[in-house]
Amino acid sequence: MTAILHNEARQLRRSSLILAGAFAVIAAFFLAVFPAMQEEAELIADAYPEYMIVLLGVEELHTIEGFSAGYIYPMLWILFGGIYFAYVGGGMIAGDIRSRKMDLTLSNPVSRESVIAQKVGALWFPLVVLNAALMLIVYGGAAILGESFDLEALLMVHLLSVPYLLVCAGIGLVLSVLLDRAGQAQVMGLGLVFILWLIDGISLLDADYEWVGDLTPSRYYNVNDILVHAEYDFGDASILLVAFLTLVLMATFLFVRRDI
Amino acid sequence: MTAIQVDDLTKQFGEVAANDGVTFDVESGEIFGYLGPNGAGKTTTIRLLLGLLKPTSGTAHVLGADIRDRKALTATKADIGYLPDTLGFDGRLTGHQTLDYFARLHGDERREELLELFDPPLDRAVETYSEGNRRMLGIVQAFMHDPKLVIMDEPTAGLDPLKQDRLHLFIEEERQAGKTLFFSSHTLSEVQRVCDRVGIIRNGRIVAHEEIETLLTQSGKEVWVHLAEPVNEKQFVTDEMIDVEVVENAVHFTYTGHIQGLLEHLVQFDNQDLEIGNPQLDTIFKHYYREEDTIPET
Repeated sequence: MTAILHNEARQLRRSSLILAGAFAVIAAFFLAVFPAMQEEAELIADAYPEYMIVLLGVEELHTIEGFSAGYIYPMLWILFGGIYFAYVGGGMIAGDIRSRKMDLTLSNPVSRESVIAQKVGALWFPLVVLNAALMLIVYGGAAILGESFDLEALLMVHLLSVPYLLVCAGIGLVLSVLLDRAGQAQVMGLGLVFILWLIDGISLLDADYEWVGDLTPSRYYNVNDILVHAEYDFGDASILLVAFLTLVLMATFLFVRRDI
Repeated sequence: MTAIQVDDLTKQFGEVAANDGVTFDVESGEIFGYLGPNGAGKTTTIRLLLGLLKPTSGTAHVLGADIRDRKALTATKADIGYLPDTLGFDGRLTGHQTLDYFARLHGDERREELLELFDPPLDRAVETYSEGNRRMLGIVQAFMHDPKLVIMDEPTAGLDPLKQDRLHLFIEEERQAGKTLFFSSHTLSEVQRVCDRVGIIRNGRIVAHEEIETLLTQSGKEVWVHLAEPVNEKQFVTDEMIDVEVVENAVHFTYTGHIQGLLEHLVQFDNQDLEIGNPQLDTIFKHYYREEDTIPET
């Protein structure tokens, strides 16, 4: 039975496409300044305060890969992408319960476990659309600028981002099961993802506190390693996948026990 | 066979017992009316039966499945239709898309037949629907997979009188076809009209559970008497008379004793006219609510 999955994916269609459009516009702005920055890359990197370099992970700004890893991916993908998935996760359960849509759903021969699994499964749509869109934008944009983007690195930066985005959705999902209002779960979910991202960056500034960042999902998705150094850490990706599955199990555990 | 068996079902929301030791049963092939004012606990019972809420204590069996056994209850839902009081449809879908969605969830072999009786504008988005159209879409959704048991929460709310009649007729036909229909309502006349048996719930407790006929018989007789002269209440009224209303020469009351006793009492007066009949369910209903005038609004 995949009726819920199809219906949920259809509901995510509009927001995914709008976000893909927004990504295209913002990425175009970023890419437009690349040629100018390329020449002054060293100067710019020197001029940045230390914390900005660490927070955004700025390296090798004169290459298109380094530039993307320093500007486009931290902003668009880790931050906005993460926030979007947390927002979508936050809307999965609480809203349906409040609008009584869940009453109708659960009056069918479908278990609560299946409802969660299908709603999570529906994330395939934004995952495919947003990944494809950003890949095309970055690769196409680089080509227009006369740069050739390392295709393998590009594919890997997207592939390894999937577990990260799923963890963000998982955070939203757990909140969505715990809280009574979709709005609350969505805002808390995206707020939490933003704060975790900040903690990850800030903790890098002080070696004594660097371990705190180990508790944040973005720590396990390093775009610089992938794009600049072609280092693909599947171990980190696995940690994120385990975290995602744990969050889904936790949400399921809570959902099957709560009153609707 | 029993379609629904409710045993001492209790649901607490904090301090409030929305259902307090509710016990009743619904036989297969009957139309059962579940009657009570808003906030009495009808919807809570229904949501417990569907496993949407977990009972605090007690249990119920729906088509043989214990409501505490999630797996068994989920499997049983293929044979259950549900028409909730608040219809949480996805407003952006059209009526067609909504029914397609539920068809994938539970089947739709009777969709076309039902759409001839209940005809919401299927090409329009559900968010533009009137209350009546939403209700009709809900009815089609609840019956289209030909379930053995249909649970309806205030099914006629929002329907125009013509469609209400159509629904009443339809569920009588369904009963004849062997279906079981559980029907909550605060509209007494419709319960009296279509239901075989009735359970009355007040403040989370069942206060009556019987056949409509028995309920009417046990509830005494409704009597109008016109005397030749103004009624002397002290002389006329006996302990068996309740709800006594006196207007000059006329008295209207419910008589709870034996008819023979009433007649023996009446011959002492100069009677001009007399009418004895079964009370309306409304009258009976009033009794169950009058004992506590302060029914908390929930």
